[in-house]
Amino acid sequence: MSDIIFELQDVHYSYPGKFPALCGVDMTIRSGEKIAVIGANGTGKSTLLQLLDGLIFPHHGQVRAFGELLRENSQVDENAAHRFRRRVGLVFQNADIQLFCPSVREDIAFGPLQLGVAEEEVRRRILEVAQVLDIRHLLERVPHQLSIGEKRRVAIASVLAIDPDVYLFDEPTAGLDPLTVRHIIDFIVNANQRGKTIITATHDLHIIGEIADMVYVFGQNKRIIMGEPPDSVLNDRSFLEINNLVHIHRHHHDGREHVHQHLP
Amino acid sequence: MSNALNKKRNFIERSILSALAFLKDATLSEEYANRKGFLQSLDPRLKTVSFLAFLVTAISLKSAVLIGSLYGFCFILAIFSRIPVRHFLIRTLLFIPLFSLFMVLPTLFSIVTPGEPVCSFHVLGLNGIITRPGLDGAVLFVVRIATSVSLVVLLSLTTRHSELLKVLRVLGVPQLFVLTVSMCFRYLYLFATMVENIFTAIKSRVGVVSHHRHGQNVVAWNLANTWNRTTQMSEEVYMAMLSRGYTGEPRLLKVFHATLKDWVWLCCAVIICAGLFYRGQIL
Repeated sequence: MSDIIFELQDVHYSYPGKFPALCGVDMTIRSGEKIAVIGANGTGKSTLLQLLDGLIFPHHGQVRAFGELLRENSQVDENAAHRFRRRVGLVFQNADIQLFCPSVREDIAFGPLQLGVAEEEVRRRILEVAQVLDIRHLLERVPHQLSIGEKRRVAIASVLAIDPDVYLFDEPTAGLDPLTVRHIIDFIVNANQRGKTIITATHDLHIIGEIADMVYVFGQNKRIIMGEPPDSVLNDRSFLEINNLVHIHRHHHDGREHVHQHLP
Repeated sequence: MSNALNKKRNFIERSILSALAFLKDATLSEEYANRKGFLQSLDPRLKTVSFLAFLVTAISLKSAVLIGSLYGFCFILAIFSRIPVRHFLIRTLLFIPLFSLFMVLPTLFSIVTPGEPVCSFHVLGLNGIITRPGLDGAVLFVVRIATSVSLVVLLSLTTRHSELLKVLRVLGVPQLFVLTVSMCFRYLYLFATMVENIFTAIKSRVGVVSHHRHGQNVVAWNLANTWNRTTQMSEEVYMAMLSRGYTGEPRLLKVFHATLKDWVWLCCAVIICAGLFYRGQIL
């Protein structure tokens, strides 16, 4: 049981003045696992990642991280907060939110510097992660001048520089060109092979076979309605269709319109 | 409907879009700062200190000729820093010195500044006499303004804004303040683009011709929408900062490296300023 990283029990969360975002989520995540969280829009995937990252806290139920209860009070203590932040990193869906510094270099340096890493070591890490993600030529650039794909890679670099044990990815491949998607999938797979725990929220069914060993499906009731390996989830076409997870394509063949589902 | 009427009706949109375009061009474009020129190659800290010295010199000197020579030096620096001459002259000579000229116009005349007459004229039954002290004072004021503006513009054109802000840290400004202003700059571009996109989206749906009252409604709605989105984004950015270990006391990277060339430049700047002060006392 010692390899359990996150343990969620009957977690409920509602945004102020809005409908509930999570309604009774139970989940256990172990060290080194590769997990995908899928579901239609508004089913609570991003909320789950923010809970796991200790940015918001459940209104009911509990989240345990590394054996300790994750509470707002525990994040007030700087040492405890830093211990947690060194182990868990979140790549936000909107890279513009994550890249708030005036240059790419400073954005990558921000996390390690806040966590007390020595400046020389930070400089070494900047070059290392820039090499890994092929963004050395972007280091002096201003984030607003970057393309979406470049921003996403820099956002990943800003978390990679912290070198956490757990990576949380929120829609890492949304809106990206195929080559950048490939690079990000490779990064996730390599990180997992190095022993990192990966939790990815995504709509993209094409990638879950590669980025996950276990897939949790969130339903419109804001709860986990299925937790199976990728093949089992992808083969259950009626389930995917009911839960709005199937890509439907419309083509013209020989002058006739043809509509079909599209699955990997 | 005439073009003139269309223009009148879309004046709000045109004004906002022009203001945003100016904002992006004037404050956020780093085209010249990224060029490989002389001033761009200098350490931002020492460059800023040297320009502050030039600025103090321009403000303190009482000779238009000496201040003019400083402007000439500034112009040469602009050329060596690969700033297009036309762009530099438009930015430095057109508006602010022209505006200052209008400000000092009354001081040319004997009513405000009595003294030796240089020329006189008769317009609409009024006698106007321009005096030597008035003319000298006006020329000194305009040259001083033009030189000061040129120095500031040259510094901002050849230095990335993020570096200029970091120089504030060297001058003892708290890191939190520097980080906050840096983030304002960072998101200014994003929101300027967002407002532009909103206008484009509105135009794509309602066309370019709209009644001015409708235009006012659109602007009010746009303001409210932008406010909501900025508030939401500020919360999300704060979360992103927390997520990477921010606890209220920012730690930022020290990125400056002064070389021998930078120190030589600073010495030259001090010598030039001292020389100008010395000449100013003799004249």
